[in-house]
Amino acid sequence: MNASTSGANSTKDSSLPSMEPQEVYPIASVKNLSEVSANFRTRLWWLTLLCVLVSLGLFWYSRQGSGELIAIDFSDSFGLKPEDRLKFHGVEIGAVEKIELNPERNGVVVHVRMAPQTRALASEGARFWIVRPLVSLDSIQGLDTILGAKYLAIDPSPTGGKLATRFQGLDTAPIVPPSEGSLEITLDGDSRGGLESNAPILYRGFRIGRVVQVGFASDAKSVQARCAIDPEYRDLIRRNSKFWNRSGWRLDVGLSGIQLDADTLAQMFTGGIEVATPTEPEKNVGTGHRFKLYDKPDKEWAQWKPSLAHGEALNRIASKMPQPIRLAMRWQERSFGFRKNQQRAGWCLPLDDGRVLCLSEQISAPNSAIPNSIQFELAGLTLNADQLIQPSGPVSPESIASSNTRFSIVESLPADTTRWPVNMVSSKLPDQVCDVFLAHPDAASVLAIDAARLNVRDSAWMIDEMVTIGRDYHGLPVVSAATSQVIGFLSIQKNTRVILAP
Amino acid sequence: MLKSCHCCGLIHQVPSLSHDERAQCTRCDSVIDQPKNRNRSQARTAAAAVAAMALFPAAVLLPILEVEQLGHHHQSGILGGIVELYKTGSILVATVILLFSIVFPLLKILALVELSWLCLMRQRHRTWTYRLMEQIGKWSMMDVMLLALLVMLIKLSGIVQFHFGPALIAFVLCVSMSMISAICFDPHAIWETP
Repeated sequence: MNASTSGANSTKDSSLPSMEPQEVYPIASVKNLSEVSANFRTRLWWLTLLCVLVSLGLFWYSRQGSGELIAIDFSDSFGLKPEDRLKFHGVEIGAVEKIELNPERNGVVVHVRMAPQTRALASEGARFWIVRPLVSLDSIQGLDTILGAKYLAIDPSPTGGKLATRFQGLDTAPIVPPSEGSLEITLDGDSRGGLESNAPILYRGFRIGRVVQVGFASDAKSVQARCAIDPEYRDLIRRNSKFWNRSGWRLDVGLSGIQLDADTLAQMFTGGIEVATPTEPEKNVGTGHRFKLYDKPDKEWAQWKPSLAHGEALNRIASKMPQPIRLAMRWQERSFGFRKNQQRAGWCLPLDDGRVLCLSEQISAPNSAIPNSIQFELAGLTLNADQLIQPSGPVSPESIASSNTRFSIVESLPADTTRWPVNMVSSKLPDQVCDVFLAHPDAASVLAIDAARLNVRDSAWMIDEMVTIGRDYHGLPVVSAATSQVIGFLSIQKNTRVILAP
Repeated sequence: MLKSCHCCGLIHQVPSLSHDERAQCTRCDSVIDQPKNRNRSQARTAAAAVAAMALFPAAVLLPILEVEQLGHHHQSGILGGIVELYKTGSILVATVILLFSIVFPLLKILALVELSWLCLMRQRHRTWTYRLMEQIGKWSMMDVMLLALLVMLIKLSGIVQFHFGPALIAFVLCVSMSMISAICFDPHAIWETP
């Protein structure tokens, strides 16, 4: 290195201008640095960037879709294969990834990849089973899996415990527990009579519940069926309801021929229980109530036709039902020189503007009444006629017009009286008849009247004779099922029951 | 400089061109040389080839198709499908698909990247890379795979249910990017550095 530099120095010293470098060495090409990067310039690079992002995004997306693995132990795989689905209410929430024998070689372990959004369903207490075709005398299940793939079903823990990754699977579908809010009752029968769990409970041939379990009573003297009535029908069951077994089919061979008596095909296999409630229903029953299960129905049970409020409409309206209070009017009349006590009782509805709404005839004494003998009893108060004020002034027999209902003002009602908002009172009956409720303060006594049982006559609605209404319903407010407004009052006169506009 | 028209083969003497000029064939009017386009085309080739390379793993590895028949599900990517073919014993078919839809396309994309990159950096010519690309490019048939998917979709749509996976997007983009790259590529640029 030193030598060459000294050599170069010496040539530089001696003859620098005479050398022609071009002839010996090529001249290095000179490039502007910005020129090199300019070569790369094209707008297509934006597309490249986009493609790189798309590629990364797709990888991220497919990682995102895969959730956590859980393992479920089964005694048999029952034909389940990888990539079969885990379903909840028929919706896919996971996929079987792998099925292998467990280390003890006495069962299988199914590994399931859960979808991330529904991972919480697989928490402690969740139950899994493999849905497969199952045909037995009393039920046919899993028809969709005869040709199609088997699938796993899950029943999540109702309380939603901690997340878990290891579960014990069930061999068969679990007994479906009664849904929340259903009425659980026990029926005591002499014999099983072909009854199976999941058999329907029918009211007028309509399924309102099912048998959860059938078994012996603890002393084996009778057969007990645990039943669950669906929440929306629990008001159909009353203390005096009758249950009878109509399992299987009845074959009557007689002179007139052969008669086969069975309601539905399913009922032929699973059996069924029918229930009827008398025309005058008693109070509702609570969960745990016991009924006798009869073998055959009485003839008259078929004739029972009670009007019972049930279902969605009642649930919706129950919180907003008006709370009428008793209103009684007492007066004295002269007959044969004696004073005779008379009274008229009914219901009235306190309003939130301090007034009370009722049928006008409930506060109008007949002309034969002795003046100043009229007294009213209302919410524990005893009032004289002049303590009741109408828009037109104090109550007097003369001031009562022929109109059907009228406002009246009472001095002071007890503070705990439930008052009905004025804006929930309709000024007239709707143009068309509609489903209505008779708002009894006792929820079990609330009567539902279907629109089909109502007829318009003049300015009032007549109630069909089929409907049984107790005499003490006189003066009850009538609530429309559709709007939950008070649309009128019930008036019972001898045999006619009419709904009058407020 | 002598140059033949790539369309009609007539040999021209091409004068040195300035940046905003182009040389055309006297017989058929096709463009023989355009200095402005030359650099641009290299950059475009590079951009599209890099994009195709970025999409290639997503297209091959991710699931491309999910088939559902009577509740039976089956999901697979291109590479997974080839592996399955090997397992079921169709080694010949698997090899053909592996070569023509994975190995050759990948080599072609890599070659394009290298060629355009080298040109841009003004490195020494790599004519053998170009020849490799020419040969392999003919056998790289990724686009045929798309056609196969389409045929399957039409023929089997009544019998089974299809769900396309994320790889399909990557696959379509990858095919179009490598096509753009190949179209933009101008082989003359390899040896005609100004």
